[in-house]
Formats: sequence, C-alpha cells, structure tokens
Amino acid sequence: MTTDIHHLLAPYVLDALEPDERNVFEAHLAQCELCRSELGGFAETASRIGGAQAETPPPELRDRLMAMAATTPQERPVVTAMAQRSRLRRALPRIAVAAAAVVAAVSIAGFVNEHQKADDLRAERDEMVAVLTSSDAAMSVDASTGGASVRVISSPSHDAAVVVGTSLRALRSDQVYQLWTVHDGRTTSAGVMGRGPGMMLVDGIKGVDALAVTVEPKGGSKTPTSDPILSASI
Amino acid sequence: MPAASRSNRHLGVAAEPTSPPGDDELLQRVARGDDAAFGALYDSLGSSVYGLARRVIRDPARAEEVAQEVFLQVWQTAARFDPARGRAKSWVLTLAHRRAVDAVRRDQSATNRERTYDWTPGPDHDVVDETVSLRLEHEQVRRCMEGLTELQHEAITLAYFQGYTYAETAEVLGANTSTIKTRMRDGLVRLRDCMGVES
Ligand SMILES: [Zn+2]
Repeated sequence: MTTDIHHLLAPYVLDALEPDERNVFEAHLAQCELCRSELGGFAETASRIGGAQAETPPPELRDRLMAMAATTPQERPVVTAMAQRSRLRRALPRIAVAAAAVVAAVSIAGFVNEHQKADDLRAERDEMVAVLTSSDAAMSVDASTGGASVRVISSPSHDAAVVVGTSLRALRSDQVYQLWTVHDGRTTSAGVMGRGPGMMLVDGIKGVDALAVTVEPKGGSKTPTSDPILSASI
Repeated sequence: MPAASRSNRHLGVAAEPTSPPGDDELLQRVARGDDAAFGALYDSLGSSVYGLARRVIRDPARAEEVAQEVFLQVWQTAARFDPARGRAKSWVLTLAHRRAVDAVRRDQSATNRERTYDWTPGPDHDVVDETVSLRLEHEQVRRCMEGLTELQHEAITLAYFQGYTYAETAEVLGANTSTIKTRMRDGLVRLRDCMGVES
C-alpha cells in the first residue's frame, strides 16, 4: 500500500477513494511534497469539470440559505492552519509514519457504521489525523493473551489520543468492545468501539493514566462488567 | 433637470469602472460575516454547485439538499479558505463534489447500487443562465474531455460523476485497479494541460 501511495492522488482528487483510504492518503499528503505540488493543478482541473455542469437551482434555495446564514454562527479564523501544517511537515516524526501505516492496516468499517453522518466522521477523521501527525505524538502498545493488541497514539497538545485495535477478533452480534479511561483509579467510559478491528478518538486525556478495553453487552455498559482484555498506559 | 441627470449618468459611466468583486474576494468577505457577500457568492457559484450535485446525485430534491449543505458549510468555514492554494470556485466545488459523492454512496449503499453505464450528456445548457466566459469555459471542458482516450474518459467520468471508487471503476470497466489509477492520473494530466491549468 505504502509503496504506491502516490498513485492515490488522482483518485483522491476525483473523490474515488474509500473513506479509510482517504484518511490514509490525507496523512500521506501532509508529508509528501511531491503529491502536494500536484494537488492544486489536479483539484482545479477537477473543479472545472464540475463547474461545467452548471444548472439553475430552484429559486427558494437562495432565500433559505440567506435565512440560515442569518442565524448560523461561523467558525473563527484558523490563524494557525498554515503554520501548523508547515511545522507539521518539517517536524513530522517517525511516529506519524508508523501511525499512518497503522491507519492503513485498519478497516474502519465498524467505525463508519456507528457514525452514519459523514460530517461527524469527517470531523473525527480530521482530528485523528491531527493527533496522528502532531509533533508530540507518542505511541504505546499493549498486547494481550491471544495476540490482540491496541496501539494508543496520544498527543498532549491536542489533549486527545487515537486508539487503534488492528487485531481485535470479531465478537458475537450481542457483544461490543468498549473503551475506558482510567484516571486516579476511576474508570470512565470513552465509548463503544464496535465488534471488531477499528480505531477511535479519545478526547480529553489530561490526567488519564491508562486506557482499557473490555467486552460488554451490545450497547455498552455504564461500568465495566468484565476484566479488561487489554490496557495501555498513556 | 434632464440635462443634469444626463450629465450625472455620463459622469457615472466615465468614472472608474468598478468591476464587481470576484469569488475570491467574496469568499473572504463571507469569512468576515458579510451576508451580502454570501448572497453574491451564491449568485456566482450556486448554479455550478447545484448542477454538479444534480449530475452526481440525479434526484433534484436530494441535490438541492446537498447544495444547501455545501453553502452552509461555506458560510461556516469560509475562514479556512486560503487564496494562495487555489480559487474560491475550486474550493467550493471541491466541497460540493465530496459531499455529493458521500451522499450518493450513502443513499445507494442501502439499495445496492446498480452499476449501469449511463452516459447522459449532462444538463440542458440552453436553459442555463451562463455568462459568455462561463460558456466558453464549459465549452473548453467538453472539448478537452473529448480529447481523452476512451479508458481515461470512462475512468474519470465514472469516478467523478457516478461517485465510484477507483476499485468499483476498475470492476465496471473490467480493468485492474493499477491501470485505472494510472488512467485517472494521465487523464487528469491531459485535461489539466488542455485547459491550460497551471500545474
Ligand atoms: Zn506522495
């Protein structure tokens, strides 16, 4: 996959990648000067094909949008976006390369199913990539009986971590993996992970000592009902 | 009185011709919360966004929803636009295309999308209110598309207009995936050069 990842640029520009490939490629793009240098021209080309399909929209759409804009707050300017990018590019540590490879290895199908909305998915994806490529990203790995492992890539500057479970076996349909944060001996749910391999974003890792994974009944539990099958310190 | 108004009019014509702000300028004003600029940007790009969504999604009501989401996203995230990295139109259409493809994949995944060839030639351009320059740009796109090899054309069309992944495109065309990736790439290069887009 990584050997010919540059070849994904054209499909990427045409939006012809699967969501997980898109993630991987965007992580690649952040570090590949070659692909970035071609991106602008390709994107402009694709958007001209798109622009040539112009068709008059229904007139009500404009009124609706103007009304929505009047009541919708805007994102504040992202002053750091470019600075962050170039810093990231320069300082991109080996960890990010390793993390990108991990992302590549993981099917996020389960993850997609639990997040029907593409927007949510994209926002989480963006933050995952930000964590995976942050300059202070650190990885810890925990293997358990049966060879299953989770990797935790944590970034103090983002106060977030990405948990990657590549080798989790598929569970019965009435069970799920659930992720917990351990903090001063207290265990708090960080969310339901799904029934098989996947990855998950954990927000707010300040003060968290470790992450643990348990198998819970479908829908998840308020407190763990079984011993962790995996845990990783942060 | 008539003389005065004539001379006013004359002065108006003689004064500095104020060209209307371009899309880039409008989008930057939108980022500062300028509703009027948002309306003007919609007037400039609304038909491109809606037309692209229609082409990919086909269903007019669904396309309208997607166009609405796109412009709302433009309103909310205009501050992310960086003119150094491309035109506003390109930025907006990139958002639009991705949303349209996501929508069509989401809608069709449930009904197991049918993989039929469908080379509809596109919307009826006679009813489209286009400026002359836009019309020329569209003409150029059509001409450049005709300059592609058949496989390049099919690969790009299936991906861009049908929302197929390159793997699905390969399957439909009975080619292997690396061939399709390559045809997408050399097709884009050919189009880029044909349209005179800076590489
Ligand atoms: Zn590359």
